[in-house]
Amino acid sequence: MKHPRTLALAGCCGVLALAMRAADPVPSKPAAPAAAPAPKTVPATATAPIAPPAAAAKPAAISTAAAAPAPTATPGTSPAASGLPKIRLFATGGTIQGSGENRDNIANYRAGQIKAPQIIADLPELKKIADLSFSEVSSVASGAIDAKVLLKLANEINAWLALPDSAGAVITHGTDTMEESAYFLQLVIKSDKPVVVVGSMRPFTGLSRDGPLNFYNAVRTAASPDAVGKGVLVLLNDTIHSARFVTKNNTHRVDTFVSRELGAIGYADSDRVVFYRMPLTRFGSKTEFDVEKIETLPIVDIVYGYQEASGAAIEALIAAGVKGIVLDGSAPPYNRATLLAMSKGMVIVQCDRKGSGRILTSERSAGRGTVSADNLNAQKARILLRLALSKTSNASEIQRMFNEY
Amino acid sequence: MKSLSLLLLSVAASFGLSAQEIPNLPPPGLTMPHVVLISMGGAIASQAKDRMNITDFGGQAASRVDPEKWLKDLPDLRLFAHITMEDFRPPAPKPEEEGKPEAPGAAGTTTAQLYSVAKRLQELAKDETVDGIVVTHDTNTMAETAWFMDLVVDVKKPVVFVDSQRPWSGIAGDGPLNLLNAVRVAATKAAGGKGVLHSMNQAIDAARDVNETSAYRVQAFQSTDLGVIGVADPDIVKFYSEPTRRHTFKSEFNIAKLPADPKNLPAVECVYSYTEAPGYLIDALVEHGVKGLVVDGTGGGSATGGINGQTEAIKRAQAKGVVVVVTTRTRGGRVQDTPHRRESKIVPADNLPPEKARILLQLALTETTDLAEVKRIFDEY
Repeated sequence: MKHPRTLALAGCCGVLALAMRAADPVPSKPAAPAAAPAPKTVPATATAPIAPPAAAAKPAAISTAAAAPAPTATPGTSPAASGLPKIRLFATGGTIQGSGENRDNIANYRAGQIKAPQIIADLPELKKIADLSFSEVSSVASGAIDAKVLLKLANEINAWLALPDSAGAVITHGTDTMEESAYFLQLVIKSDKPVVVVGSMRPFTGLSRDGPLNFYNAVRTAASPDAVGKGVLVLLNDTIHSARFVTKNNTHRVDTFVSRELGAIGYADSDRVVFYRMPLTRFGSKTEFDVEKIETLPIVDIVYGYQEASGAAIEALIAAGVKGIVLDGSAPPYNRATLLAMSKGMVIVQCDRKGSGRILTSERSAGRGTVSADNLNAQKARILLRLALSKTSNASEIQRMFNEY
Repeated sequence: MKSLSLLLLSVAASFGLSAQEIPNLPPPGLTMPHVVLISMGGAIASQAKDRMNITDFGGQAASRVDPEKWLKDLPDLRLFAHITMEDFRPPAPKPEEEGKPEAPGAAGTTTAQLYSVAKRLQELAKDETVDGIVVTHDTNTMAETAWFMDLVVDVKKPVVFVDSQRPWSGIAGDGPLNLLNAVRVAATKAAGGKGVLHSMNQAIDAARDVNETSAYRVQAFQSTDLGVIGVADPDIVKFYSEPTRRHTFKSEFNIAKLPADPKNLPAVECVYSYTEAPGYLIDALVEHGVKGLVVDGTGGGSATGGINGQTEAIKRAQAKGVVVVVTTRTRGGRVQDTPHRRESKIVPADNLPPEKARILLQLALTETTDLAEVKRIFDEY
C-alpha cells in the first residue's frame, strides 16, 4: 500500500473489483499442465464457501464471521475430503487484497479491502491443486501489523499445521513489512510443513496485477512436497525466497523482493516448483521459541547511524524503558549512549545499514557486550531480539541465537 | 582463531621476502586438519615481470608460480591446516615450444586432465588422513572443471576450487587471501557434504551454480539468481544454505564408470542463437559426429527458426540420433519444460549455462540416449 491516507474509500470496491475482472484476461487462462504436484485423479470440488458476488461487495460481513482461532471450527474448512492437499489461507490484508478506484490506479488504493473468499474465487484453477480453506486474521496494510496480530497469526498457523491432515499454509500480507512477519513466523512456527507468505506489488483491481499469479504459485508451493522443511518461504514474481534471507528492495517494482548475497532458493515456474537450496539456519521443528503462552513481546526499537548522530535517540529510548535497541549503523557511533543503555540492562544489537554482509563477531564487540546481528537487517534483528528477550537478557546467550537463527 | 587482521599484516610483511618467521604458529601437538593443495595452475599460479602488470601474464615457463612458493610467501596457511601439495599442471613449455599450439597447456584444460584430477580426488576422498582438498584452476573454465568433479567424484569431505583474478605477483593481488580462505573452508567440517565448492572474494559458492560473470573484477564469480551458500569472513567460515540438487556422493556418475579413454567421452558441442543464426553450423557439427548438441537459445530458450535456421537443422540432427538440449543465453532463469518443447523432443537444461549443460549431457550420454532419461538427469542435477 503506497498512500493509505490519501485515498477516500470507494463506496463499493468489491463491485469495482468484479468489474475489473471482467476486463482482465488472467483468470480465464487454464492451469498450466503438469503444474500440480497433487494426485491428478481427484475431482475438483468446491472447498471453501466462496462468497457470491453480492457478498464479495460487502467485505465487512465476511470479516466479522472469520478469524476464529480453532481451525476445525473456522468458516471455510471443507467438510468433504477431496484428497487434495489441505492448504489454508491466512489473510492479513495488503496490496494483494487492495482495491483502487479504477484499474489505472496501481499506486493509490486501499489495502486489505478484498477478502479471502474473493481472492480464492478469483482463481478457480486452484481447485485442481489444493483443498483450500481460509481464515481472516486481519485486513490491514502491512505497516499496521503489530505484535498482537503476529502472535494471533502464529498461533492460528501452528494450530492448523498441528492437524494431522493439514498440508500447508499460505499467508497474504502487505509487502512493506512482509519480511518482518515472515521472519517472525520462521522463528515461531513449529511445523516443517510448508508456510508461504505472499503479496503483490499491484492491487487486486490494478492493470497487470501480479497478485493472482503470485497467489496461485504460493498455493502450488505450499502444496509441494519439495517445500517441506525449508522454513517459511516468501513468494512473489515466480521466485521463492527464504524468510531469513529476503528483503524488499524497491518501492514499486514487481521484482522488489531479493535475497541480496544469498539469492533465491527456488522458483515456481509453469512446469515445476523447483528448489536449489536448503536453508541451514534454525527454524521449524528445531526452533526454541514458543509463542503459545506469550501475550506480548518486549519492546525493541531501531536507531539509525550516520555522521554526527547525536545519541539523543538512544537516551530517549532509555527514558521510554525499551528492553533492547538495534543499532543500524555504519560504525559503532553511539559509544557513550550505548554504554549508558547497557548499564540500564538494555541489550544492544549491532546491524549494518549497507544492506548485505555480516557484522563480524569480533573480540572487541564481545568485550563491549554488544551483540552482532550477523547478516540480518535491522528490522529482522529487531524481531529476533524481541523473541530472544522473551527468554533471556544475557548478551552471550542472545549472541548464540543470532549466530543460529 | 586469530583475527585475520593479524594475518593480513603478516601476509603483507612476508610477501616477497625470501625468509621470514612463520607468524603465530599453533601450539605444538595441536592436531591440524590435513588439507591437500592441488595446483592445476591459474592466475594464482602465475606471475608477471612487474607488479603493475595484472592483465598480461602466463603461458611461459618464467611466469609459473610453483606450489612451494605459495607456502613460502604465505606461511599463514599453516595456521589453519597441515598442507601437502600436488602439482597437476602440464609441464612447463620448453623455450622452443612457447607460443606453439602443441605446447603443453596450450589447449587449456583438457578432458584428459579432468580425468586425472578426478581420479586423484577420488583417491583422496577415500584417504582417511586427508580432511579437505583445495584445487587451483585458471578462472576461465574453472566453473566447468568444478562441475565435472561435482558430478563424478564420490566425496563427502570439502573440495574447494580457487583462483584469483590478478596474478600472484600483482599489486593488490587477490590470490593470497583467496588461497588462505580456500584452505580455511577446506579445513572446515561443515563444508563437507555440500558438493564441490568454489571460494573467491570471501564468498563460498556451489560448483553447479557459480559462473565467471566478469573478465577481470575480483567479484567475477557469481551464482546468478541463487547467490552464495556461505561466506569466509575473518571471524568464521559460515554456511547459510546447501545445494539440494544431486552431487558428489549422491551422484549416479563416477569417474571409475566413465569410458576409460577420455577421447571416448561422448562428443557434445554448443551453438549460440541470435537473429538469423544459420542451421548449417549445426549440420557441420552433426557431420563432425557429435552425439549431443547444446543450443544456447534466446529468451526462454528459443532457437532461431526459418528455412535456413536452427530449428530445421535441429530436426535433421535429431533424425540422426543427436540428443538436443537447450539453454538460455540470458544467463539467468530456467528453460522450462513446455508441451511444445516436449513435442519437439528438446530437453530443457533448467538453469545451467551451455558449458555446464554440455558436461552433464556428455555424462548422461554415457548412460542413455533416451530423452526421458536425459530429461530426468537435467531435472535432478
